[in-house]
Amino acid sequence: MTGERPLALVLLEMTLLVLAGPLVTGAIQKMKARLQCRQGAGVLQPYRDLTKLFRKGTVQADTASGLFRSIPVLVVAATVAAGAFVPVVRAGPPAFPLGDALMLLGLLALARFLTAVGALDAGGAFGGMGASREMTIAPLVEPVLMMVVFSTAIAAGTTELGALAAHRGTSWLLAWSAADFLGFAAMLLLLPAETGRIPVDNPDTHLELTMLHEGMLLEHSGPGLGCMVLASHTRQIVIVAVASALFFPVGPAGAGVVGVLVGAGAFAGKILALAIYLALVESSYAKLRLFRVPQYLGVGFVCALTALALRIL
Amino acid sequence: MSEEALHAVIDDLGALLLFTMILIVAAGQIYRAIYAVSAQSLLIALAAAVLATATGNTDLWVIAGVTLAVKAVALPWVLHWIVQRMDIRREIEPVIPIAATLALSVVIVVASFQLTTSLGPVRQAIAGNALPVGISLTLTGVLVMATRKTALTQMVGLFASENGIFFTAMAVTQGMPLIIEIGVILDVILAALVMTILVLRVRSTVDADVADLDRLRG
Repeated sequence: MTGERPLALVLLEMTLLVLAGPLVTGAIQKMKARLQCRQGAGVLQPYRDLTKLFRKGTVQADTASGLFRSIPVLVVAATVAAGAFVPVVRAGPPAFPLGDALMLLGLLALARFLTAVGALDAGGAFGGMGASREMTIAPLVEPVLMMVVFSTAIAAGTTELGALAAHRGTSWLLAWSAADFLGFAAMLLLLPAETGRIPVDNPDTHLELTMLHEGMLLEHSGPGLGCMVLASHTRQIVIVAVASALFFPVGPAGAGVVGVLVGAGAFAGKILALAIYLALVESSYAKLRLFRVPQYLGVGFVCALTALALRIL
Repeated sequence: MSEEALHAVIDDLGALLLFTMILIVAAGQIYRAIYAVSAQSLLIALAAAVLATATGNTDLWVIAGVTLAVKAVALPWVLHWIVQRMDIRREIEPVIPIAATLALSVVIVVASFQLTTSLGPVRQAIAGNALPVGISLTLTGVLVMATRKTALTQMVGLFASENGIFFTAMAVTQGMPLIIEIGVILDVILAALVMTILVLRVRSTVDADVADLDRLRG
């Protein structure tokens, strides 16, 4: 079987994703700053923030239970584990039993659920509000993502992401079938929602009326907050990597170190392209009212459903 | 161009046409709907050009050019002009929520794909998915017309619906006689002119939109 991914490679890819996660956020923030004619912080700023947070002490609400302390670790664990399912440098099914795309979505949903539970547990008003909003948006986002995965999975006959990417091969846009265009459109609509960006959420704000994700992190501090922030960086790069694995073939499946390096380079290029897209969307649109979000996601849902219909019928 | 490549390209264009149609249905602002219908006409012109290269029918090149000039540029420009002239800042006024319209449009798309599979041999003779895509465009255009209160959005729906008919006709016949195509396009231009004048006159004399004209008072 071509391009099988042994355990070492999967672990390497997972580490790579986690390490590169903050860089993607930094790059998006830098691009946003340049688009707004600001100098902006360097692309390495998220790393500095993380190291600062991990060195600080923890303050915890009196009302928080013991579960609250373990929430950040659980969230980061679930998100990082989700990273293991995404092919990064090489396509192809893993050489050992590993979950598929549904497992990945489930882990991300678990991380989201735990974040909301943590926010409610601390007993802060903003946390509860953020959690309720996040849980309103989540059931609208996740089915669309699932539908996009299914619409490509039907063609390949598997839901394993590595095998999906391998099935798509290294051919570019020319080999796209009709359903892929609609699926990709749905994915593009979905990316800002999944990564917590404008027009669905605003990652930069701490105004109570506009917070979704940030509202849930307010009660965390020190290393706990660092874990939560790291988890959201990782979640972002995992989602972007899923998009690129589903719609753009993973780099050439060469053997040895050279193949891995070429694959990593191709991966970086694809991630950069999608990061530029996110930065452009974020700079050119206003945040939607919360009650408008279902309509925005409805467009994605219809696109994904039509893609599925095109595949089946 | 080979038969398979033609089918693939028409399929892809069909998917993009459906995407623009979804954008028209979902548009919350009239400008977005106008841009979407313009993009849709551009894709129709592209489809005509593709069919022209595939079949060697030179009439289709003329059709592609006329579609591009009239439906992708001139008509959206007219709509834009009316919007500015009437100084509409309002958003689109749907009769039923836009989310419900979106759900209905999915039903339409799925139904037209499902129903055309029963046509078997007819569908085989037509390039790609052109028949179900055309039918769903036409019906969704009608849906847009039926579920919007303002005359301008109804015009957008009409143009989208017309695009669907045009796309189907082109793919089914591999190029109708030039005179018929020109006639259809002239029809659209005339309809647009009449509707434009009517909308502006109604607005200037009674300051009402079509939704207010449903009752006759003696």
